[in-house]
Amino acid sequence: MSIILDAVKYLLYILVFPGFLFCFLSGMLLCGIDRKIVARMQKRVGPPVLQPFYDFFKLCGKETIVPAAASRTAFLLAPLVGLAALVVIQLFIPVFNFSAFSGVADIIVILYLLLIPALSVIFGGAASGSPYAGVGLSREMVTIISVELPLVLVLLAVAKTVGSALGTGLCFSLTQIVAWQAQHGSLIGTPSMIAAAIAMLMIIPGETGSHPFDAAEAETEICEGLLAEYSGAPLGVYKLSHAVKMLTMTSLFVALFFGGIGGGIDRLLLSWGLTGGAAGAIGMLIGIVVLFLLCVVLTIVCISFVHAVTARLRIEQIFKYYWTVVTGVALISLVLAWYGL
Amino acid sequence: MFKKLIEESTGKSPWLFHINAGSCNGCDIELVSVLTPRYDAERLGFKLAGSPRHADIVVVTGPVTAQSLPRVLRAISQVPEPRCIVTMGSCPQSGNVFRGSYSIAGPLSKYVHVDVDVAGCAPKPEAVIDGLALATQILQQKRREMK
Repeated sequence: MSIILDAVKYLLYILVFPGFLFCFLSGMLLCGIDRKIVARMQKRVGPPVLQPFYDFFKLCGKETIVPAAASRTAFLLAPLVGLAALVVIQLFIPVFNFSAFSGVADIIVILYLLLIPALSVIFGGAASGSPYAGVGLSREMVTIISVELPLVLVLLAVAKTVGSALGTGLCFSLTQIVAWQAQHGSLIGTPSMIAAAIAMLMIIPGETGSHPFDAAEAETEICEGLLAEYSGAPLGVYKLSHAVKMLTMTSLFVALFFGGIGGGIDRLLLSWGLTGGAAGAIGMLIGIVVLFLLCVVLTIVCISFVHAVTARLRIEQIFKYYWTVVTGVALISLVLAWYGL
Repeated sequence: MFKKLIEESTGKSPWLFHINAGSCNGCDIELVSVLTPRYDAERLGFKLAGSPRHADIVVVTGPVTAQSLPRVLRAISQVPEPRCIVTMGSCPQSGNVFRGSYSIAGPLSKYVHVDVDVAGCAPKPEAVIDGLALATQILQQKRREMK
């Protein structure tokens, strides 16, 4: 009996919250808000906030063309693999006091899983056999390499800060990091973590492939690169993955640096005199709303604003920027964290 | 229900692909101006797609020169169904001042079915938006008739 209940519970986690349905709805909404804000910053009216939903459903109704030169299975499966990886990451990221899956080393798992969406685009693009995809492929690889180094440094700095506070050296469990913050306040307060948060803010647009760092999908020069041959539903899935990636990166940021809000929600519920199951449910609802609002703010700050004020960088400029400026900031935070600041 | 959702969405998210078939660049600039803050066609869901495979509406400018004709037809055939073809300016519609020239293969309607013609040299942005909105309705109609 309990096995069946567990199975139903995990199925709900995977399909509804924090899995597929939650990712779909909030990722698309984030993307719509991003487009609206960019439009307002350029003094335009902008598309409706629900525009990404319209785009997705329209693409589902279009003909799917598989090029003669493409390898069919890889071409059609790659987008699904990328989306699945993103949904799995979302399962590992705690929503304040609630986490669907937790492990000893979630951060390492997330680090590896974050590569899969990018690799799936590379795989699908390579399978399409288009020369534009070939150019996009090499650029996407360079973007991954550029972003990965500072991202690892930032995660190490966070792991070291929480680990030395817990006395375990390095703490790679995201659930523990959030639980520690719920007790001792958000990590964003200390100098080393401010540097880490700044570096992470710079990483988010690169990781999601949004504006100044979208050389791999430059629509004006290389016909959207890796996606050049995609049409119909597979293209829709790629657009969805891009939207979900925005949610994943921003909610990872919230979990790493604003985990203290979970403690705040607990105290709020206690002051209302709520305990037990009801408190858990209401706390989770408040948590979801707060998480989504924070994700919106982060999206506006580090994706929309940057999109509106910058022009696309060349690929070697992206590489240089990440391996000098962002890695520098991340290294500062790591050194500070090692000295316990 | 799902079919209705797709139908609704088709009318709200038309992506454009722009083909220059020997145009003087006048219409091309006017098409770009449709997407600028002043006219902002993105509020209706229009977006300039980079690849013909992503497009719903193909906008052809220029008198369709003999050199460009095979490329234009090839690009149009790569657009997935349902699709709409809009000619922009007088050139692809009639040949304009280039009519009768040895190097002109147009008008475009000799080779493919054209859904909307936007006349003018170059057409005003308002006229372009009007034509594109009409094309969107035709697109929705075509989606309804599919399957």
